Amino acid sequence: MPSHPSAIGSRRFASFSFAGALVLAVAACSDNGGDPSAQVGPNPNLPPLQQYLIPPMHVAKIVGWQKDEKPSVAQGLQVQAFATGLEHPRSLYVLPNGDVLVVESKSPDVQPIRRPKDLVMGWIESMATSGGSNTQESNRITLLRDANGDGVPETRSVFLDHLSSPFGVALVGNDLYVANTDSIVRYPYKPGDTKISAPGTPLLPLPGGPIDHHWTKSLLASQDGSRLYVGVGSNSNITENGLEAEKNRAAIWEVDRASGRWRIFASGLRNPNGLSWEPQSGALWTVVNERDELGPDLVPDYLTSVRDGGFYGWPYSYWGQHIDPRVQPQRPDLVAKAIVPDYSLSSHVAPLGLAFDTGNSLPANYHGGAFVGEHGSWNRQELNGYKVVFVPFSDGRPSGKAQDVVTGFLNSNGEARGRPVGLAIDKSGALLIADDVGNTVWRVTAAGGSS
Amino acid sequence: MDAAHPRSTARVGINPIHPMLVHFPIVLFTGALITDLAYWRTADMMWADFSAWLLTIGVITGVLAAIAGLIDFIANPLIRAQRAAWLHLVGNVVAMVLAVVNAFVHTRDAWTSVVPTGVILSAVVVIILLFTGWLGGSLVYRHGVGVAN
Repeated sequence: MPSHPSAIGSRRFASFSFAGALVLAVAACSDNGGDPSAQVGPNPNLPPLQQYLIPPMHVAKIVGWQKDEKPSVAQGLQVQAFATGLEHPRSLYVLPNGDVLVVESKSPDVQPIRRPKDLVMGWIESMATSGGSNTQESNRITLLRDANGDGVPETRSVFLDHLSSPFGVALVGNDLYVANTDSIVRYPYKPGDTKISAPGTPLLPLPGGPIDHHWTKSLLASQDGSRLYVGVGSNSNITENGLEAEKNRAAIWEVDRASGRWRIFASGLRNPNGLSWEPQSGALWTVVNERDELGPDLVPDYLTSVRDGGFYGWPYSYWGQHIDPRVQPQRPDLVAKAIVPDYSLSSHVAPLGLAFDTGNSLPANYHGGAFVGEHGSWNRQELNGYKVVFVPFSDGRPSGKAQDVVTGFLNSNGEARGRPVGLAIDKSGALLIADDVGNTVWRVTAAGGSS
Repeated sequence: MDAAHPRSTARVGINPIHPMLVHFPIVLFTGALITDLAYWRTADMMWADFSAWLLTIGVITGVLAAIAGLIDFIANPLIRAQRAAWLHLVGNVVAMVLAVVNAFVHTRDAWTSVVPTGVILSAVVVIILLFTGWLGGSLVYRHGVGVAN
């Protein structure tokens, strides 16, 4: 639970004070929201929605990790930096030989300015570095090899370079698929490769620019390797770029690997990331970033199983049948069939990573459960997220309260030393965390173990 | 002719600045009402985007016009002596405050950036501007404020 009330209450965006009018000062004093932990679980309390003149905004100021600083971990665990000095690492993929691919990615270059607000929001996003710095090399994949398993990679190489805002990676046989923001590209891979120089073969285009609001494309191969599943986020917070811009977005696509043909597997998922197979049931699960600007405790981001043909509400409704008045024309027919998600992670935590503990090296209480990387909030005064949590599972369903596993991404002043994004379980069973603000990959192992 | 015309203080040469600038907020806020109505009827975000720009630039140019007008008002007791000048000032301050609030309402996303609060505020601002614009005309054409002697 992030709770640094002294720092949080005092900070507000000074740039908004130009408005000056007393009316606005009053309007900006929104409530801080309730205790986020009360919203964690299958049946979150949903307060009445609020609309603002100035929505509550607070992004943790970035300070980075000082020497010898590292995140805190739950009892029974330990954490070490696996790699540092990366450029905006956002997602991770573990190859069968244990090599770790770190996807370093920045947002697509040009986001159109459609209205005055886009100027302000662009600036806020740059504060959060959710798009990555524009000055450094990125949009590449770095390979890390720790052959002796001591937690220190002996080999580090640029595996693939000059990609287009990549995020998802999936290997099927000798075919390595990279989900750029605007296409899936296939590369030839041989076990042991530390670099791919062959040109990629496009498999199919994905919805990219000119507007490309949620640009991360998560990727997962089916267990038999015949299909790929792709997370395609919405092109807006809540349809403010027009419904046409949302075509085939806010959805998970199913792609036939051989032909490149695809269909919408599930829809109404505003920004699905971290697509994963639940190990016991074999079902597809995802974490989803829900809509903003309805209050500090709306709308809960969630972890859910994904049904073939399922519709999960966006944009017309949230958490089942709760209508969003910002969307016109409404679609009562779709709202009626909107599926209630399985498990609330609480509001604005921004889950971007999901990994089930399929290894055997972490303490037994983690086996089979889900780790979730919460990048952290901007749309509430009291920061929420900025940590990795664990949701226990049994019989293929969440079976208890989420626990904090890796915290300390915020310092005691509420400033961001790092922000967790993508997660993976490495070959030894350790949990890897991509930290796109700390430019680090963290490795969490059982306390006292040699690796 | 009787007494000399009240002089404008904020001027370029002999031409007062305030009457040069007031056209911008008046036209921009009127345009925002029209594009708000268009969005209300069509739900096409293009119109709401237009409204947001028109309001934002209307507020900026309105502040500039207000500065020039306030200088004229404060610096010349002959202007302050006009009842119409006081009504003109108070009405326009109310219109500007509502327009600023409206610009923030228009930063909401999609439908509720306009309907219902945004379009109502746009209409109220235009109605006030009809009244204060008429008063501004009276100040110039009847009382000769800023008119050369």
